[in-house]
Amino acid sequence: MKRLLGVALGVLTAIGGFVDIGDLVTNAVVGSRFGLSLVWVVATGVVGICVFANMSGRVAAASGRATFEVIRERLGPRAGLANLAASFLINLMTVTAELGGIALALQLASSVQYLLWVPVAVVAVWLVIWRVRFSIMENVTGLLGLTLIVFAVALFLLKPDWGSLGAQVLAPSIPEQETAASYWYYAVALFGAAMTPYEVFFFSSGAVEEGWSIKDLAQSRINVLVGFPLGGLLSVSIAACAAVVLLPAGIAVTSLSQVILPVAEAAGKVGLAFVLVGIVAATFGAALETTLSSGYTLAQFFGWSWGKFRRPAQAARFHLSMIICLLIGGAVLATGVDPVLVTEYSVVFSAIALPLTYLPILIVANDPQYMGEHVNGRPVNMVAMIYLVIILAASLAAIPLMIVTGAGS
Amino acid sequence: MAIGSRRSRAALCGAWLVCAGVAAILLSGCAGAPGSVPDTVSTAVKDSSSAVATARLALGLDADGKLTMAATATTLDDSLKELETARTTLLQLSPTVQNDRDLRREALAVLDEGTSGLTTARDAVASTDGSPTLQDGDRLLEAAAGRMSAFTAQLGGQ
Repeated sequence: MKRLLGVALGVLTAIGGFVDIGDLVTNAVVGSRFGLSLVWVVATGVVGICVFANMSGRVAAASGRATFEVIRERLGPRAGLANLAASFLINLMTVTAELGGIALALQLASSVQYLLWVPVAVVAVWLVIWRVRFSIMENVTGLLGLTLIVFAVALFLLKPDWGSLGAQVLAPSIPEQETAASYWYYAVALFGAAMTPYEVFFFSSGAVEEGWSIKDLAQSRINVLVGFPLGGLLSVSIAACAAVVLLPAGIAVTSLSQVILPVAEAAGKVGLAFVLVGIVAATFGAALETTLSSGYTLAQFFGWSWGKFRRPAQAARFHLSMIICLLIGGAVLATGVDPVLVTEYSVVFSAIALPLTYLPILIVANDPQYMGEHVNGRPVNMVAMIYLVIILAASLAAIPLMIVTGAGS
Repeated sequence: MAIGSRRSRAALCGAWLVCAGVAAILLSGCAGAPGSVPDTVSTAVKDSSSAVATARLALGLDADGKLTMAATATTLDDSLKELETARTTLLQLSPTVQNDRDLRREALAVLDEGTSGLTTARDAVASTDGSPTLQDGDRLLEAAAGRMSAFTAQLGGQ
């Protein structure tokens, strides 16, 4: 019974923790401009993150070490440095975007200017990382993030034309007012949002934090294979709400305040309360994860003592690096840069850096020296290789598409 | 060893890709810059039209009791910011021929109507003496939306 509860909690946390500011904004932008014609990208991204998150969890459980630590040792410092540079910079952008997301959501709840909420968000994230136990931190934000299910509820309350939505999913086409370049630019952005690199670094480091062993692999697999696809459905429902309410009204999403309007239309103030709690929880949870990921990658590359399972004094550089990341994120937002714009860039840059994250994981997961009998099987390798091709194509296409479309504008 | 070194090179190439991406941000800024005056005017009016439609939706939800005052005020603020950005884009244009100058002038007038509607709507939400009303704001926004739509159609016909 206790084990069953553990599995249920893990799945629910995985669903609630799946959506972050990147998913929220990108799915709403895409829904408001392209309807559901890019759902296939979300599905592709979700399968990809399931494959690689599962792989990195297995690396951590089999070797007892986090993926990045093994990559550094297995591929050497130069390859490790390239991996570190790419993932760390993108992590930092994502930390900034998530802090901005918390502040924007709190502005929607209070009408107090979001810039005043930024220092509050920075301090709150730091305090939780400093004081709260890893499992409590993960479970509370994940479970509160579940309130975003209100998007799915709102979709049913809006009584959409299901046939039309289904047709958009099954026969995707580019709307008249949009260009093919914009369509593919947002396809890359959605893919980057679904496969954000920090997710696998956090997942594998979290496995070490929680002391996973081989016998925990089954539960981790269920969390990933059930939780992430359901989280993906949540992403699709955000896009669908935007497609049903905003697209026909000629509203192209450029701010977080527009994302919540379909929920308010369908479920009124109660729905609004749920969606605001969900956005704060999702962005706060993701801010914790990205901040920790920044600390993990740096500490694991330089061989510092790391982990929340250690007292802060025993992992001083790990904690100091996270404080610096939070301060940088806060300082960037204090310049007045639009957090939604930072989010849009962060997901595209995630797509650019994807090969640097996922190729090394695949190499390590095939190394019997670390994995023993738990190396990838042939079917997993085949799927992973297909994904590497997709990842490489998305990575190479991102920059030209960004230039051609003026970053999707 | 050779495989390891190839992997290192591949990883470094990837890092270069990310650096190239940073350059792309700058370039995409340039790409977003005006190609031609009519294109820029059209994009600015389209963005403004989206902002006005957002404001109208928020006002309607507020009137129906479905949105809190804080959420309505924030949505209207964001819409106003969008209009200001569009207006700044138009003001930064340097048209070289009379037709383009006229086009910009007309577009600015259309955007001003949207701004006026939005400020009235914000006043209505913040008002403690009942004036202006949400309906006053919506009426002005409806007129601005109509004018933007007509202007966009006129641009499309040119």
